[in-house]
Amino acid sequence: MDSPIEIKFWGVRGSIPCPGPDTVRYGGNTMCVTLRIKVKNHYRLIIIDAGSGIRNLSQDLIAGHSGNGHFRAEILLTHTHLDHILGLPFFAPIFFPEAQIKIHGPQTCEEDPLKDVIGGQMSYRYFPVRQEELAASIEYIDLKEGHYNLGDGITVRAKYMNHPLLALGYRIQFRDSVICTAFDTEPFYNVFCTDPSDPSYDELLAAEGDLAAREENHRMERFYHGADLLIHDGQYTLAEYETGKKGWGHSPIEYAVKAAQRAAVKRLAICHHDPLRTDAQIDKLSQKFCHEQRSGGMAILFAREGMVVEV
Amino acid sequence: MNDFQCNRRPFYKKIQAYIARMPSLPTTVIKVLETCNDPNACANDLKRVISLDPVLTGRVLKLINSAYYSLGNPISSLTRAIIMLGVNTVKNLALSFTILENLKVKSSCLAFAPNEFWTHSLGVGVVAKWLSASKGTPPSASEEYFVAGLLHDLGKLPLHMQFPEEYHRVCEAAQSSQVALHLNETRFLGVDHCAVGRMIAQKWHLGESLVESLCHHHYPADSSEKNRNFVFIVSLANQLAIYLNIGNSGNHYCDHRNISFQMSKVGMDKAMLDDLQETVLDEIERAKTFLEVFRNG
Repeated sequence: MDSPIEIKFWGVRGSIPCPGPDTVRYGGNTMCVTLRIKVKNHYRLIIIDAGSGIRNLSQDLIAGHSGNGHFRAEILLTHTHLDHILGLPFFAPIFFPEAQIKIHGPQTCEEDPLKDVIGGQMSYRYFPVRQEELAASIEYIDLKEGHYNLGDGITVRAKYMNHPLLALGYRIQFRDSVICTAFDTEPFYNVFCTDPSDPSYDELLAAEGDLAAREENHRMERFYHGADLLIHDGQYTLAEYETGKKGWGHSPIEYAVKAAQRAAVKRLAICHHDPLRTDAQIDKLSQKFCHEQRSGGMAILFAREGMVVEV
Repeated sequence: MNDFQCNRRPFYKKIQAYIARMPSLPTTVIKVLETCNDPNACANDLKRVISLDPVLTGRVLKLINSAYYSLGNPISSLTRAIIMLGVNTVKNLALSFTILENLKVKSSCLAFAPNEFWTHSLGVGVVAKWLSASKGTPPSASEEYFVAGLLHDLGKLPLHMQFPEEYHRVCEAAQSSQVALHLNETRFLGVDHCAVGRMIAQKWHLGESLVESLCHHHYPADSSEKNRNFVFIVSLANQLAIYLNIGNSGNHYCDHRNISFQMSKVGMDKAMLDDLQETVLDEIERAKTFLEVFRNG
């Protein structure tokens, strides 16, 4: 690996794993992405989200394992919705006595600690091994918006997305390379009534809601401005989004493309594909959007399991 | 110093514990539950119901100001907070503090009835907004005045709820001796609701202007130069609400001479006061209808 950062997609699906003949090529596992960063004489492993894709990563790590049990990784959870954490109990290193794992992620609005929220799925009613019985040394780190230093020159900036649960996007920088994530999220929009004929209409509220949404969308674009790779939510097409999917916390592909262009992103990877989306349909979308971009400066990829991007 | 003041550590511990899990007011709780449990409830209703509850308003602003980084100024607008946090997050936040046990003070120990406290808080919010508008504050900035008025007496809730018997006595003594309540709080409890309000506002990261209005609304001259006019408006709004007998939050002391002086400072005459009274009473009636307050009589 010559590039300083290797990004690999282990799960690219949204909402729920969807194995089957129609999802073989892009994959049916839920979100899991790794960043392998070459620092001095070793590699740092950053895992973004622990969807069902993390099980294949686990197998890969075991296959390449030296056998002494030493293992170190940082897991950055975007949020704690089930599709982003359900693979964690199947991530083998949590059972290695010598493994050191740091799990970073946002608290819920009720301020329950991440350890309780994540650990809750490792109780007897859901899983045969309890969190207290895990052999690895696991440290939970509650994140809010802010800058964090992961050491070895790796920095992370966290920013809240627009999702029904507090969800974080990450801007990870090593030397001059920048990788950003923006899933699960949808464009900010005015949630207040804007129809003057509606009895609940309030002119001031409508105007402030418009302004706040515009400003938040600008803040979002500043967050991933100039990224070498932006991994963005693209669960829906615009037509799907506008027919009953608004407010679900996922983006139309068309919006992701335009916002990334405005933010001078170099490469855009569309991910968090809808579980109903077949391989053939993604191919078609890929042809459409990648073709439209050929004259522009930004490359567009439709993420698939096993895909590797170097930055 | 009385016995109550001697043992300070448990006293502050109880106050801090209450602040950490402060529930909504019973006046708004039914409507909050109804709105937040309704998947089809519109954002306008959500904003309205939250803006009628000082505790919930504070909680939403706490979340936005403590979690979000790189915001230029603290956010004191519920509208913006709802856009940023999203309707679902705000609903869940509201629900998580609404389902807690609500005010369970024995009626014989009630320093003030919750509905009366709510009426006073809302009244001060409406008056503060009205005064700010009369001084030329643009409508888009007037929400901050409303929020400051709504929240100004939050510091009374931990005292009232954690020490009901003592606080009841403090309020009664203040009323019978015609002394301002905050002076009696300091005399008998060693701390007043303004200091407790500051604890809440700081703990909740509500921003400087709200910290100062909760802390200095009885002495606006003690606030920083930057926020003095803001706190002065909240202070005057509080005095006018007491003067106009809008609700009751345990303080009945009214310094008529001072009110006249303050009114003249903002160019307010009797006709304007009548106009204000009508506006506030209308607003409270509308809020009661929306909340269906006193629906069971």
